[in-house]
Amino acid sequence: MNAEIKILKPIQPQGLTLVVGLPGIAYIGKLSVDYLITQLKADLFGEVYSKHFPPYVIIKEDGLVELLRNELHVHRTEAGTDVVFLSGNAQAFSPEGQYEVSERILDWAIENGVKRVYSVAALVTDRQFDAPKVHVTATSADVLEEAKAKGAEPLEHGIIGGENGLVLGLAKKKGLEGACLLTETHGYQAPTGEYVIDPRAAKAAIGVLTQILGVKVDMEPMEKQAMEMDEAFAKMAEIERRMREEMTQQGKRPSYVT
Amino acid sequence: MLDDITIKNVALMELKDPVAVVGSPGLRSIGKLAIDQLITQTKAQSLADLYSAHLPTIYQTQPSYAADPSLPGMGGAVVEGGNVDLPRVQLFASVEPPLILVRGYHANFEGQFTVGKKTVDLLVEAGVRRMVVVAGFGTTEKKLCVAANTQALLDEMKAKWGLGTGYKGPFMGFSGLVFGLAKLRGIEAVCLFAGTQPVEEDLEYPDNEASARAVEQLNKILGLMPP
Repeated sequence: MNAEIKILKPIQPQGLTLVVGLPGIAYIGKLSVDYLITQLKADLFGEVYSKHFPPYVIIKEDGLVELLRNELHVHRTEAGTDVVFLSGNAQAFSPEGQYEVSERILDWAIENGVKRVYSVAALVTDRQFDAPKVHVTATSADVLEEAKAKGAEPLEHGIIGGENGLVLGLAKKKGLEGACLLTETHGYQAPTGEYVIDPRAAKAAIGVLTQILGVKVDMEPMEKQAMEMDEAFAKMAEIERRMREEMTQQGKRPSYVT
Repeated sequence: MLDDITIKNVALMELKDPVAVVGSPGLRSIGKLAIDQLITQTKAQSLADLYSAHLPTIYQTQPSYAADPSLPGMGGAVVEGGNVDLPRVQLFASVEPPLILVRGYHANFEGQFTVGKKTVDLLVEAGVRRMVVVAGFGTTEKKLCVAANTQALLDEMKAKWGLGTGYKGPFMGFSGLVFGLAKLRGIEAVCLFAGTQPVEEDLEYPDNEASARAVEQLNKILGLMPP
């Protein structure tokens, strides 16, 4: 099981679009795609397992055990085309593993007539903003123009770490069209080093992505979550400010340890 | 010499619907202690050994099950009872009741899935359809709880033995992965967790009392006579 797709319910997708949102910085990709899966009531039809996922299992609140995995959900749009969402609780750990898992998924998508590949990722910035910008990079000028028309700004240069970026690079290599949406975030981390979710950024990504996919979702639950995190981020910023102040004041006068 | 995995069949034994019991040196070594006790108690015979280049003798991580991709450990030999051998996962068989007792061994990061999967493959080949994993979980309470890969098995544990859920979170190492992989191969699996107080300086420091508590419960679940 270097990378294995377990199909739970066979599907025959029409005009398939693949949308990838795996856990990464501020969980923007995962939050965005999970939100769309929930709001659109997309059907779980497949699971992805790999020896390249971190080697442990999760015991859930209900006492059931779960291997780390990716999931495939499908949603049929009003236009009669299918969107397949790839999300999950892990990314492959090493570059080799990420290549293997991404290639396996793209090969499945190609076998099923994929038309476009989109992914959602984070763009970490120090820029202060009221609303995060959504940037885009694409496999072609045409796809880039389409995303620009939906409100995304082209990304001039940068890197997209992990499978949310790799899947687009590999898609291009395999002759597929697609784009990666990158939303601005400050990328706060908890003291344990884990990223703190950024629903405000995810909301911005969803705003562009839903236009691209031609779907509509209720944004109120995401807005509520974003407001809660806005408050938490404001508190974190205040703590940071106070700590900086205290450190500056301590630096002004001599201190002794006895 | 060793590619990834080598199996040495020590004995050929036909077991009818064997139940697998899995333990490895995890938190407070409860799983390992419990399996060793059951091997002694049932006079189980060695069935197969699984060797792998991914099994270190010296771990660079503390505890051994906290696999880290940049710390693969060191290969080497182990000496037990005056005999030298390589580190290995050992399968023992008891005919009555039909049990396969798995004495697990933590592979390094690179090999954890490979070793776990091969172990589950071996159990499938041996006709195993049910697995009981035994391990420890950190708590100040001296209690037992379970997790499973089906709701039906959780319900059974509650109804038959009064065992409820009680641990949530990650389960690392050999036993955790074997537990997780079982479902993909159609094995229903339950894990019996014994509560134990972690010793921060040495998380694998043996807790004989918690292990004995787990074994007492395993004896009931497996239909074994107490020692």
